[in-house]
Amino acid sequence: MSPSDAQRPTDIRKISVGGGRIVLNKLAGQIVTFAELSSTYPLKLLSPKVTEDGVAVVYALTYGGGLVGGDRVNLSVEVGAATSLVLLTQGSTKVFKTRPGDRLSSLPTQFPRPAHESTSPTTQIMNFAVAPSAALFLLPEPVTCFRSAAYNQVQTFHLAANASAVILDWFTSGRKSLGEEWVFSRYYSANDIWVEGKRVAKDVMLLEDDPVDASPLPRRQLRDKLAPYACFATTFLFGPLVQPAIKKLSCRYETIQVFKCTAPDKLIWSLSLVDDGAGAIVRTAGLEPEDVKMWLKEALRDVEELIGVDTYRRAFA
Amino acid sequence: MEGDDETYILLLLSDSNLPTGSFVASAGFESYLKHGFPAGSNSRSSETRTIAFIQDSLETYARSALPFVSDAHRAVHEFKRSIDATSEDTDASLSMEELLHSLSTLDQLYHDMTLNHPARRASTAQGVALLTLFTKGFSAPPSLKASLQPNKRAISINTVVDKFKTMIRREETQGHLPICWGLLTGTLNLSLERSQYLHLFLHARSLLSASVRLNEVGPYGAQQLLLHAVRPLVEAETSRCRNKKTGILDEEFDELNAGPATTWPLGEILAGRHDLQHSRIFNS
Repeated sequence: MSPSDAQRPTDIRKISVGGGRIVLNKLAGQIVTFAELSSTYPLKLLSPKVTEDGVAVVYALTYGGGLVGGDRVNLSVEVGAATSLVLLTQGSTKVFKTRPGDRLSSLPTQFPRPAHESTSPTTQIMNFAVAPSAALFLLPEPVTCFRSAAYNQVQTFHLAANASAVILDWFTSGRKSLGEEWVFSRYYSANDIWVEGKRVAKDVMLLEDDPVDASPLPRRQLRDKLAPYACFATTFLFGPLVQPAIKKLSCRYETIQVFKCTAPDKLIWSLSLVDDGAGAIVRTAGLEPEDVKMWLKEALRDVEELIGVDTYRRAFA
Repeated sequence: MEGDDETYILLLLSDSNLPTGSFVASAGFESYLKHGFPAGSNSRSSETRTIAFIQDSLETYARSALPFVSDAHRAVHEFKRSIDATSEDTDASLSMEELLHSLSTLDQLYHDMTLNHPARRASTAQGVALLTLFTKGFSAPPSLKASLQPNKRAISINTVVDKFKTMIRREETQGHLPICWGLLTGTLNLSLERSQYLHLFLHARSLLSASVRLNEVGPYGAQQLLLHAVRPLVEAETSRCRNKKTGILDEEFDELNAGPATTWPLGEILAGRHDLQHSRIFNS
């Protein structure tokens, strides 16, 4: 998709099921305002008041706190020049194969579910256009896929000159409290990042509960190859506002010295610079989602002053 | 005769003495062991550690790299067909430009999708080594040059390889291994199926030689694994990924189900941490 597609204004009445649109602009001074903030079932967008100058916060919520097979969310976001948008979720994005407790007779008639819901995947498509000197902070809670759930997430980011972005994309092994660990059927996440019309990174992660049969070798299940960790996070950092954060993390990374370990650490991370050092990709894995969250909260501390203490606390609550 | 030629090329390319630089790459295996993986490995034999790594590494490599091997090979195949279809005196430079454009577009996408830096580094080093091998090791020896007259097709395709190498030297393209492999095997008339299979076989075999160098398995043990463990695995992964594509050569493309992807996030982290090892014997 070209940047102009992402920036083309959409008529609000044309938003289809699961659609959403956020357009943030700057008025005189430090006042930011939503030219558009609209969504349709099952997506819901809420914007709490924030005190930080030039910063707006939007919560992307789903009815019932989760998504089911067949659900399609299509969110389009424009972050206007010299504004900052923080996009959060409330609690992890839970992906069910089917809506719990749903029976045909109990379906709300105003929201008929597609008949194929139990077999088709849940899909979230998000397109972001970040204008010059603007910043996007995409800091959701992790995605948690429940037993047999199938999930696709495709995010595209178009950053203009001097635009910045912090993009967090993470997932957990499932509903551990119920003994569900890596028992979803599919998790697909693509992050396609463009800066000034040039692609700088395209990360596509695919986890499928579908090991090949290479008998006599044992089948490798997801839990075999991801053990001992239950949470994986990828953070993309791009643009001038996050240079101090990249620099600090790089320095910290370079001081690590790995000697022979007898067992894996409880948390592990890696950092790779891309786009001649203008961007960084940080990957983190931890025994528990909470371990990863605490690590991220500390590692991304420089973001706090960009979005305000309260908002930062909400992001990593 | 065609089949005999192909078999001979296959023998040449599967020679473990080929100077392709793979002996300095462990694709994250050294880092994996150093970090204490696989989890619970104290109770496991070093042989099962090697097998586990090969399984996970080959799965993610097949899904992320094979689409690029296939498309580079297909692009070369298309080019050869267009050369054969034109008359002797037609200028081939137009389709040559098209092929070079396809190859560098594939190369750029592979670069943008290969995000850990030791993997990037190893991939470009081995890609360039392959092309050097082609120009230095597959050209006619001086004493036989006069009697080995290349045909029009061979001349054109050799020119493509030279031009692509020049583009790499000028840093106009990266020269990643899967693209160079597809170009090389397409140029040498290896079928797509054999090219795919051999590429995954060589990946697995170089992991086994890394395992030997890391003292995990002995040379005979490695040979046993190559015969009894790697074979079914390479077959299964080749067959799962043989129809995967990059989307660059096709108008219709189901990216979510048929596109390249990384399937092992833990492997990405461990491979990315390669350079942090206090002491190491491999470059990746």
